[in-house]
Amino acid sequence: MTAARLSVHDLAKTYDTGTRQVHAIDKLNFTVEAGELLCVVGPSGCGKTTLLRSIAGLLRPTSGRLEVDGQPVDGTPPGTAVVFQEYGRSLFPWMRVADNIALVLRDNGIRSAERRERVREALDQVGLADTARAYPWQLSGGMQQRVAIARALAYRPRLLLMDEPFAAVDAQTRADLEDLVYRLWRDLGVTIVFITHDIDEAVYLGQRVLVLSAEPARVREEIAIDLPAERDQLATRADPRFIELRTQIQQHIRDSGR
Amino acid sequence: MTLRTVLWRLVTWFGLPVVLVAAWWFGSEGSRSFYWPPLTEILRTFTQLWTPERWAADVLPSLGRLAAGYAAAALLGVGIGVAIGLWWRLRAIAEPVLEFFRAIPPPVLVPVIMLFAGIGDGMKIAVIVSGCVWPILLNTVAGVRAIDPIQRDTCAVFATRPLTRLRRLVLPAAAPHIVTGMRQALSIGIILMVISEMFAAHSGLGFAIVQFQRGFEIPEMWSGIILLGLIGVALSGAFALAERRVLAWYHGMRRAEGSR
Repeated sequence: MTAARLSVHDLAKTYDTGTRQVHAIDKLNFTVEAGELLCVVGPSGCGKTTLLRSIAGLLRPTSGRLEVDGQPVDGTPPGTAVVFQEYGRSLFPWMRVADNIALVLRDNGIRSAERRERVREALDQVGLADTARAYPWQLSGGMQQRVAIARALAYRPRLLLMDEPFAAVDAQTRADLEDLVYRLWRDLGVTIVFITHDIDEAVYLGQRVLVLSAEPARVREEIAIDLPAERDQLATRADPRFIELRTQIQQHIRDSGR
Repeated sequence: MTLRTVLWRLVTWFGLPVVLVAAWWFGSEGSRSFYWPPLTEILRTFTQLWTPERWAADVLPSLGRLAAGYAAAALLGVGIGVAIGLWWRLRAIAEPVLEFFRAIPPPVLVPVIMLFAGIGDGMKIAVIVSGCVWPILLNTVAGVRAIDPIQRDTCAVFATRPLTRLRRLVLPAAAPHIVTGMRQALSIGIILMVISEMFAAHSGLGFAIVQFQRGFEIPEMWSGIILLGLIGVALSGAFALAERRVLAWYHGMRRAEGSR
């Protein structure tokens, strides 16, 4: 399946809280090329999650439109998978790991033999081949997030949305998961929109980083990450260019927070 | 399991019943009161009275009506509860009415139900349903409303069909609440089973106990009450076993959370 090209045009979302109107995002314009890994960073509470939920079709934007491969979409773009921040809450505790993954294939015309095969393959890809029969709550947080990633992979998405997926795991697990996502992206060539509040993570993973301004979120800056394609937790993070880029982004975020 | 824990389990399960039976046994020993016969006499009556024929005549009809009423209440309660839990418009319309019906004690409805359901099995089952349906319905609504929004989002993004969502998300997610409602409904159902048989009945445990009482067959009456209690214990034991199977994931998750 080919990767999707996503373009966002004048997207805006306003919440009416009763006492005042909150402009979470306003006139947001950007494009994600097919097969690109785009990271989105911004000051906390700047509407990153609102943006992701709008792209996923879980929130109806107040105005603006989304296009996938040039076609306008309403609702969830076909072939979109999401990895939520709250891994523990997006997996179903009443189902074993394999059933959690198979669930998203059930209504998409995939027969049970192929479902089993895809589940096995996806678990293999995230290094959890032996947990198929376990329940999610028997696994550690990092493993649960791997299951959520495996579920997204088994779906064979054209567009993968990740909402601060590693915000709740410890540093070492986080580094492992970052490398996992990067490797999977290079192997599979899927389009990924990766939302994070961690600038280092954005620079480490992204081909391009979108810096959003504070409420309302607008695109403040787009920064191409011109680091070597081979990323390594130690070497890449020690690269002078890496430090330059992260400083540059941090500067933008600090300025936009004012 | 160590010997110590086995012993402790036995003490917690059987300790108090043994003490109570012993107190009754010795307290009523040699009693000459007509209304409080010795326990030994009640037990002797029990073994003579509750023969297989008697079970077929009184106990099984009661249990059959209880099963029918309880099953119907579960279907209605879960079905309507899921609908009300999922659609807030329906909830806004239904909530005041639910509160009204829930506040009416079901025994009061027996004469009313007799008017349109007659005095046969239908009436007795209707009485059981009218009492059992509320805890199941209200707990189902609470359970469906408590579904994690992230789980709903997950189903929405991955394009699962409504029927799949109902079977794989809504019902299992609400199951702990539904089971709580069904446990409450079970004890209500046993009470209503007996009460419905005290009006215009010709068979059943409640009917038999009232007959014994009216005929001043006091040991027989007591033996019926004991049988009723034993049936209650057996049913709640069976319920606990079923719950442990159905909600194995839930109890496992709770234990896992507790140990973290």
